[in-house]
Amino acid sequence: MGEQAADREPVADKETAAEKEQAADQESVAGKEQTTDKEQTARKVPVIRVKDLYKVYRMGDERVYALNGVDFEIFRGEFCAITGPSGSGKSTLLNMLAGLEPPSKGEIVIAGKHIEKLNEKQLVSFRRERVGFIFQSYNLIATMNALENVALPLSFRGMGRSERIRRAKHFLKLVGLERFMKHMPSQMSGGQQQRVGIARALAVDPQIIFADEPTGNLDSKTTLEVLKLMRQIVRKQGQTLVMVTHDNNLASYADRIFKIIDGKIVSIEEGKRDDEEI
Amino acid sequence: MRFSDLLIMSVNNLRRRKLRTVLTVLGVVIGTASIVVMISLGIGLQEMTVAQYASSGSLTRIEIYNDAMWNSDAKEESFLEDTKIAQLERLPHVTAVSPILQVYVQMRQGAYSGSSEIMGVSREVLDEIKLGEGRLPDPNANTMELVVGNMVSRNFYNSKSGRGYWETGEMPDVDLYNRQFFMIFQSNGPSEEQTEKKYIFPVCGMVESKTDENGNPVYNEYSYGIYTDIELLKEQLKRIYRKNPIPGQPTNKKGKPYNYFIYSQAYVYVDDMENVVSVQKEITDMGYQAYSNMQWLEQAQEQLDMIQAVLGGIGAVSLFVAAIGIANTMMMSIYERTKEIGVLKVLGCALGDIRSMFLMEAGFIGFLGGVIGLCLSYAVSALVNRFLGAGLMGMGGAAGAGISRIPASLSVLAVVFAIMIGMLAGLFPALRAMKLSPLAAIRNE
Ligand SMILES: Nc1ncnc2c1ncn2[C@@H]1O[C@H](COP(=O)(O)OP(=O)(O)OP(=O)(O)O)[C@@H](O)[C@H]1O
Ligand SMILES: [Mg+2]
Repeated sequence: MGEQAADREPVADKETAAEKEQAADQESVAGKEQTTDKEQTARKVPVIRVKDLYKVYRMGDERVYALNGVDFEIFRGEFCAITGPSGSGKSTLLNMLAGLEPPSKGEIVIAGKHIEKLNEKQLVSFRRERVGFIFQSYNLIATMNALENVALPLSFRGMGRSERIRRAKHFLKLVGLERFMKHMPSQMSGGQQQRVGIARALAVDPQIIFADEPTGNLDSKTTLEVLKLMRQIVRKQGQTLVMVTHDNNLASYADRIFKIIDGKIVSIEEGKRDDEEI
Repeated sequence: MRFSDLLIMSVNNLRRRKLRTVLTVLGVVIGTASIVVMISLGIGLQEMTVAQYASSGSLTRIEIYNDAMWNSDAKEESFLEDTKIAQLERLPHVTAVSPILQVYVQMRQGAYSGSSEIMGVSREVLDEIKLGEGRLPDPNANTMELVVGNMVSRNFYNSKSGRGYWETGEMPDVDLYNRQFFMIFQSNGPSEEQTEKKYIFPVCGMVESKTDENGNPVYNEYSYGIYTDIELLKEQLKRIYRKNPIPGQPTNKKGKPYNYFIYSQAYVYVDDMENVVSVQKEITDMGYQAYSNMQWLEQAQEQLDMIQAVLGGIGAVSLFVAAIGIANTMMMSIYERTKEIGVLKVLGCALGDIRSMFLMEAGFIGFLGGVIGLCLSYAVSALVNRFLGAGLMGMGGAAGAGISRIPASLSVLAVVFAIMIGMLAGLFPALRAMKLSPLAAIRNE
């Protein structure tokens, strides 16, 4: 495997360089023309590019191929859903995209950066600058109220307190929680907590938002509300959203649906629903 | 992250688990208090010892003796005289050298007579004498003014009965300060019949006379002497004896006096206590006998250092236990917060910030414990001085200051040390937290 990687390296470097140029070109064009979201998707500016991605877990003598050769691209402003049966490798894929786990083999290029080559410190700063994360179990800090939770990731960037609070308030309003700002997580329902989680992910104004079963702990009515909210905001701000779910109905709200079975993408479908349906 | 944000997060985390924080802080409180009290005892003991030595004479003074002048075979070069004094003055760290010229005198007041020695000394020595009454001799005076020891009058006896204080235990009716007395210098040579001249010199001061708890006067090194300016004493002696040999001064083989004064003793003043022993060694190497209080103090110091180390060690053990307590608390807290730390990492909290957060938490425990421990130390110190100090007063400690002393520097040092111990104990847990996997946040237990 080591040899293989060495063989690939020069090629990969060339590609990266070309890709960066291309991305830069397209970015500037996009900036100038103020295109609408639909058009932007149509232009297909790749934000995430995954190539030949493997993740192998060793369990004693046995090897588990959580990801078994995955290739795809995700474009700017796109809402992608990753579906598949339990244990198929969805979470593994998402974690790798967010730089939480290193791949065994393959390339992940996000906004022109090779994620698999970054060290721990660079990964943290990559997430701080570009990525928002929405958790299945919300993962709010139990000792902080809604407002402080949303403001927390902004403090990691060294933003001043008043500015932080101002932004956090804005995003809490956006998710419809203006009356719950002073509530502690334990004083809120699951749906409300997840809205705080969404506001927290959005507050840092990330390019890409990852969500691993964000509605997994919610009932079907709240699930739809939260999903619609996420989709709405992300659309408005031109952000890319990658969501893992095992619910086919939910996935159908996405622009594209990646179906994974046993660590392999078996199909990529277009979403069936228009914006009007939401 | 900003420092203020880190601090707020750390403090909030401590507040979250109040009881555990309080218990951990308590450990540091006890640790700090025990180390501070122990060291304060050491310092008290040390200062008391120094004070004790200082009360029996200056600590920066070396006394040198030269018995060549009593030795009839001695060469003239070995005499201690003014050129030698100048030579000693040139030694490094020496600030002044005072020769001491001793003259035996008879004194008479009313029915009483007694004897003492007039010590001609230079300004430096006079300045050191603590006076009970009066003033020091005027430096510009041209007649001898005397400072009289507080116990000189004990040496007077009734000329009729021939009995004095030493026989009867009663103080003779002599007042050397308020009433005049005559001084009679020893006659020179065998001609006893030579008319004794009586002199009266003004007394400008009396040596301080302290009394102990029973009201008895306390001896000090100036108690039995009469002190005056050496230059004026020399002039006076020359006037009295003219060309004749002065009693107490050596003569050459032909029985003729030398035309300069020869001293049996001198005081050498050194700039700092630290240098006394080295200067003393140089002087001994030059062939003089030399003594200093510092020399004895230095020996005592070695023992004190040992006591100090033992006391400090006892205190250090309890602070060490407290440090383990901090490390344990921090470790527990990290295990409990594994998920939270993972979330922070996923949200992009820099690794250094996570480490700082935990270090500050541990440091804050140290700080709290240090400050409270210091307050406790002051209380314990006050108690010790109240109940234990009184018994030790007799040991010569200056009244008012007890055996346990906490100088400001020790206070500051104690708090800084407690913070450092806290951070040191928190270092390993903090590094551990920094290395935790962000995946912990994702997994749902
Ligand atoms: N740390 C690990 N060590 C060993 N095997 C692992 C590890 N993490 C995941 N796996 C294996 O990798 C495979 C994919 O796991 P993953 O969590 O990605 O599944 P998933 O698609 O998210 O499933 P679910 O829908 O149940 O969340 C599974 O077979 C799992 O057992
Ligand atoms: Mg999963």
